[in-house]
Amino acid sequence: MLSEIVKRELKRIVGEANASFAKEDLLCYSYDATNSPYLPDAVVFPSGAEEISLILKMANSEGFPVIPRGAGTGFSGGSLPVEGGVVVSTERMRKIIEIDTENLTALVEPGVVTWELQTEVEKLGLFYPPDPTSLKFSTIGGNIAECAGGPRAVKYGVTRDYVLGLEAVLPTGEIITTGVRTAKGVVGYDLTRLLVGSEGTLGIVTKAHLKLLPKPETTKTLLALFPDIKDAAKAVSAIIRAKVVPSTLEFIDSACIKVVEEHAKMDFSGAGAVLLIEADGSAESVEKEASTIEKICMESRASSVRAATGKYEVKDLWKARRAISPSLLKIRPDKINEDVVVPRASIPDLIAGIEDISKRHNLLIACFGHAGDGNIHVNVMYDKKNPVEAASAEDAVVEAFRLTLRLKGTISGEHGVGTTKSRFIEMELGPAVIDAMKRIKATLDPKGILNPGKIFPKANGPQKAGFAGAGK
Amino acid sequence: MRKLVELKYELDKCVKCGTCRSVCPTFRVLGRETACARGKLTLIDAYSSGAIGLSDAYLKHLKECTLCGACRDTCPKGVDTVAIYNAARVDAVQKLGAPVAASLVFKNLLESSKVMDAALKIATRLQGLIFKDATAESGLLSRFSLPVIGKGRLLPPLAREFFLETSEARGLPAPAKTGKAKVAFYAGCGVNYLMPDVGKASIEILKKAGADVFVPSAQVCCGMPAFASGDAAMARQMALKNLEVFEAFDCDYITTSCATCGHGLKHMFADVLSDNPELSSRIEAFSAKVIDINALLVNVLKYRSGGKETGGKLVTYHDPCHLNRAQNVRNEPRELLKSNKNIAFKEMAFPCSCCGLGGGLSLTNYDLSIEITERKIESIRASGADIVATACPGCMVQLRDGLHKYGVNARVAHVVELI
Ligand SMILES: Cc1cc2nc3c(=O)[nH]c(=O)nc-3n(C[C@H](O)[C@H](O)[C@H](O)COP(=O)(O)OP(=O)(O)OC[C@H]3O[C@@H](n4cnc5c(N)ncnc54)[C@H](O)[C@@H]3O)c2cc1C
Ligand code: SF4
Ligand code: SF4
Repeated sequence: MLSEIVKRELKRIVGEANASFAKEDLLCYSYDATNSPYLPDAVVFPSGAEEISLILKMANSEGFPVIPRGAGTGFSGGSLPVEGGVVVSTERMRKIIEIDTENLTALVEPGVVTWELQTEVEKLGLFYPPDPTSLKFSTIGGNIAECAGGPRAVKYGVTRDYVLGLEAVLPTGEIITTGVRTAKGVVGYDLTRLLVGSEGTLGIVTKAHLKLLPKPETTKTLLALFPDIKDAAKAVSAIIRAKVVPSTLEFIDSACIKVVEEHAKMDFSGAGAVLLIEADGSAESVEKEASTIEKICMESRASSVRAATGKYEVKDLWKARRAISPSLLKIRPDKINEDVVVPRASIPDLIAGIEDISKRHNLLIACFGHAGDGNIHVNVMYDKKNPVEAASAEDAVVEAFRLTLRLKGTISGEHGVGTTKSRFIEMELGPAVIDAMKRIKATLDPKGILNPGKIFPKANGPQKAGFAGAGK
Repeated sequence: MRKLVELKYELDKCVKCGTCRSVCPTFRVLGRETACARGKLTLIDAYSSGAIGLSDAYLKHLKECTLCGACRDTCPKGVDTVAIYNAARVDAVQKLGAPVAASLVFKNLLESSKVMDAALKIATRLQGLIFKDATAESGLLSRFSLPVIGKGRLLPPLAREFFLETSEARGLPAPAKTGKAKVAFYAGCGVNYLMPDVGKASIEILKKAGADVFVPSAQVCCGMPAFASGDAAMARQMALKNLEVFEAFDCDYITTSCATCGHGLKHMFADVLSDNPELSSRIEAFSAKVIDINALLVNVLKYRSGGKETGGKLVTYHDPCHLNRAQNVRNEPRELLKSNKNIAFKEMAFPCSCCGLGGGLSLTNYDLSIEITERKIESIRASGADIVATACPGCMVQLRDGLHKYGVNARVAHVVELI
């Protein structure tokens, strides 16, 4: 609960119209894509670092939680006000401040939607590669805080690789600028990297200096159908082994294919798995790579490989690919969605292992994702209302985590820990590592006011958001 | 129609993924979660469960919506957002016993065409006195004799002679016995009161295309404006009246050059009359005959333009939400335009984004409505077109207003006027 004085002060800082305590507004800032709401006490829409700094200073003196929020599309509960408090929305901070075509950089506010930045830079022949599937509606700030990645990561890396520097407000209210404007820089600790992926627990990003690339001359999209899912997995490893670097290498299993066929009215003629592969670069190199990829797929027993023709087919294919995650809930009422990553060569082992888990628990597990970088979205489908199914679904997930770690992978490639994975991080990280992280947090945020209840497992804290539900 | 309580399962389908944030025109302008479908559904759900009441804030957010359906179209879960919004509006109007939006206005004006006629006739006569001339406001638009009122807003003048009174319409009281496709023409308020020329052009083209066209004179407002403002009872009366009027004739098709009326006739009638099972087969037969004029011309009558002069250089096309999304008619108007050898056609960016008029928004929140229009106008400007074709009088009014407001020198025309 906030005191009347705090409320009045918040209004004074951001302006009457940009602070709300009304139930109607609070309800709309209580959830993210995990679909497990917690009501905040206030939501504010600041215009920039100075206002956020004042809010954070007051949070320290008055002792209320502050929760940064972009578009609220996170899959791990990062923007949920699990302990109440003030949600700081970046929705008013949506300016692209500068696109520097000489140094190939952009300076943006955190509320800019990723796709809007991409559209603007592409008009200038430039390219901002990070492409989370949510790119049309998630924000740069959220992408930075979760270190979001997407299909292009296999060739171009993830958000982290494009953040040159940040303006951020520390939990105690100081406004800092991190990073450099140059290609190199080693003065002091790399605070930029510390903030990227910190899930809004170490600072609120208020401006981001991003790296851009020249836009690739052309892109070719291939669609390879495989009767047997294991052959598709092997083809992924074979492509990587052949030292071809496609710009995307997406894997879609038969359960997901079915959903896509229904949702997007597309025909994959009963394939057991599909690979959606893109090569980009100069026209010449693209043709060469595409034909190598095609050859490898055919050798790995693909039933057909063909190029998507025309802008519309490519667009439709991607639209269908993006719709998989939410559409999966059309086949079963609930799902637990995890984004595990294994070293790329281990993909066939992961797929085989998941198939085994699926059989043992008698649960449909739908897999798809960025196979090119070893990141597979594992969706355990079940019915929450059936307690037996619900219990075995949770067991299946834990087994999938164990399998992933056995294969030297990680339990989250993109979505982050937030509230949904905090009780599992001890499976992956040793006690000394967790302790080091906690000390960093305690140093920067001694009062624990910035986005509390995230990442670190709590002895007896709220654990309502058990698993990532909404799914990606 | 389905009541709000019956739509709980539909509300529960929303998984809060946020995809709808990428398409919502009101969210684009307002930039707040409460404006997009995910937020609205949350509020409607909270209201249904009693967590919030019929508060001003709730009603405000309900109204901040053009009912464009873009969220429904993009939702990967297939949540029927528009059905939920309509049910919520109807529910609010019933509970409040007062209009959410402008339902009172419609009640007085549209109840029967006679009342409306009388009211508008008087207004027409007064028009010269109360409306300023557009040319005084802006030389740019001197081609249009459109008056300007309040806030620099451009409203079309009422026609000197309403379409249903013109000789073109009155001369066609019933189908002739020609053996050709018998087509009943539904004018709708926009065409009847504001744009009789669109009605006349429609009749002319339909005749040219070989239809045996006629105009039932007793037709009344389709009820869509009343429905959008939550007045289902009013919409129901209008649906019933129109049903009776059109059933009196033996016809193969019922067509209209208004996207909104077409959507109303084809879908809303069945919705508001669904409480009476005895009507269901009648409604079904009626709805099956309703077809938008573009679709009728292309798919049934196989019409191609003979090469009409348009007086412009480059034509672009705006997709009305009620045609594109609600009736799945996208290619037909483009085909018609392209069939005219005198037309150079250019697609604008985001042709399907809402013009901003719908859902009663231009009445309840004009500033928001016209701000939504701005993006559309920017697309038009960037396309370089000097004629914007569309297929809905509502969109035409809004686009004219927007072009004027944002200073783009292009003319708005209905497809039927260009082919
Ligand atoms: C359909 C769908 C598909 C998705 N696909 C992908 C995918 O392919 N790859 C992927 O990586 N993710 C994906 N996601 C997850 C999600 O979109 C990303 O995590 C995204 O980066 C979240 O951005 P947001 O703006 O919604 O942030 P939010 O959900 O609002 O917040 C996420 C986290 O960032 C913090 N935060 C937000 N803004 C700031 C700021 N300015 N400063 C500091 N912290 C901040 C919040 O506190 C929170 O911890 C998907 C989600 C959905 C619904
Ligand atoms: S797109 Fe559909 S499921 Fe996703 S938040 Fe919007 S309404 Fe809900
Ligand atoms: S119908 Fe249109 S305006 Fe209304 S919420 Fe959906 S997208 Fe937004």
